[in-house]
Amino acid sequence: MAKTQIRVGGLGGQGVILCASIIGKAASIFEGKHSTLIQAFGPEARGSACSAQVTVSSDLIGYPYVKQADILVLMSQDAFNQFAPTLRPGGMILFEEELVDPSKVSLPEGTKTFAIPATRFAEELGRRLVLNIVMVGFFAGVTGLLSFEAVEKAVRDSVPKGTEDLNLKALRKGYEFGRQQAGC
Amino acid sequence: MSPHELPPKLQLRDGSTLELEVFRPEDAPTLQTFYRAIPEEDRLYLKEDVCQDAWAQRFATRVAEGAIICVVAKANGVVVGEGSLHRALHGWMRHVGELRITVAPDWRRKGLGRVLASSLVKIATDLGIEKIMAQVVEKQAAARRIFQKLGFHQEAVLPRHIQDLSGAKRDLYLMANDVSQIWAAMESLVSDYSPDQGA
Repeated sequence: MAKTQIRVGGLGGQGVILCASIIGKAASIFEGKHSTLIQAFGPEARGSACSAQVTVSSDLIGYPYVKQADILVLMSQDAFNQFAPTLRPGGMILFEEELVDPSKVSLPEGTKTFAIPATRFAEELGRRLVLNIVMVGFFAGVTGLLSFEAVEKAVRDSVPKGTEDLNLKALRKGYEFGRQQAGC
Repeated sequence: MSPHELPPKLQLRDGSTLELEVFRPEDAPTLQTFYRAIPEEDRLYLKEDVCQDAWAQRFATRVAEGAIICVVAKANGVVVGEGSLHRALHGWMRHVGELRITVAPDWRRKGLGRVLASSLVKIATDLGIEKIMAQVVEKQAAARRIFQKLGFHQEAVLPRHIQDLSGAKRDLYLMANDVSQIWAAMESLVSDYSPDQGA
């Protein structure tokens, strides 16, 4: 399998790091691949922006930094404006459709975009907090990079006790919406 | 389909098997039949007169509105236990839910009350309710123990607040479970890095 470079971006408080961490954990611990996670600090994390880089590969990963992402998971307009132009041509952008207007940015050639009202879905489930888990499900559903079983185990392993049920509902919601959007 | 997931089959301590279902408004008459079979001395501790015909319609309306989430336990299609979460949909107590549990006499001391209560605590936290209350009469020691095991603590006692069949005044215990702590851990987990917060 070729190396897949993923960048997750959004605002502080949206659970960007947890989203990236679950993707990496699902790939490495529950699917036996290799993955790395880098959290963006310093000049990249300006304002309340927050981002993380995940690399997934079937081979050992020698260099964990994402230079040109294959997949972007973006939850805010700032993150979209900043990272969308850096996507590899032909890459994929998954974004929160009620927080992002993609027409404001010129996208690299061949970019495939997939939108989800993740915040609204999370609120309908009862807690806005789980929007990042909806995004994890959406990621798995659209990309097919990770099995649902692997992300389900990673979510169970990552969220606080007592919150598993709602988080898993959020995951399922995002996953099913993702499968629909991907035409599966 | 109900948004609340329950295990389809439930095995109690004595090995008997029950079905748990989220109650639908059209099932209210069945629930009333269950309540009418409860001994009068037990019904006294209920907050409403569940034997009145108007009660079933009122209950069904509140379930349809979402102000009550009700879970019933059935043995061979007959209701043997009921738990309900009552909540205000608006106003200053919209973060608070009240739990009410009733189990048929033959089905007590088998763990059913605890299953109903824990199912509703889970539903309450999923709905964003932060504090769950339960009202227990002083002589309902078993009920108090169930709630304590589920994380409830005694928040207040209203002395001589209710009157039993013999006319004796009894203390009413107000028990509370602050389930917001469960989600506080999740909030902390999704807080991410913010330069304003330092790290």
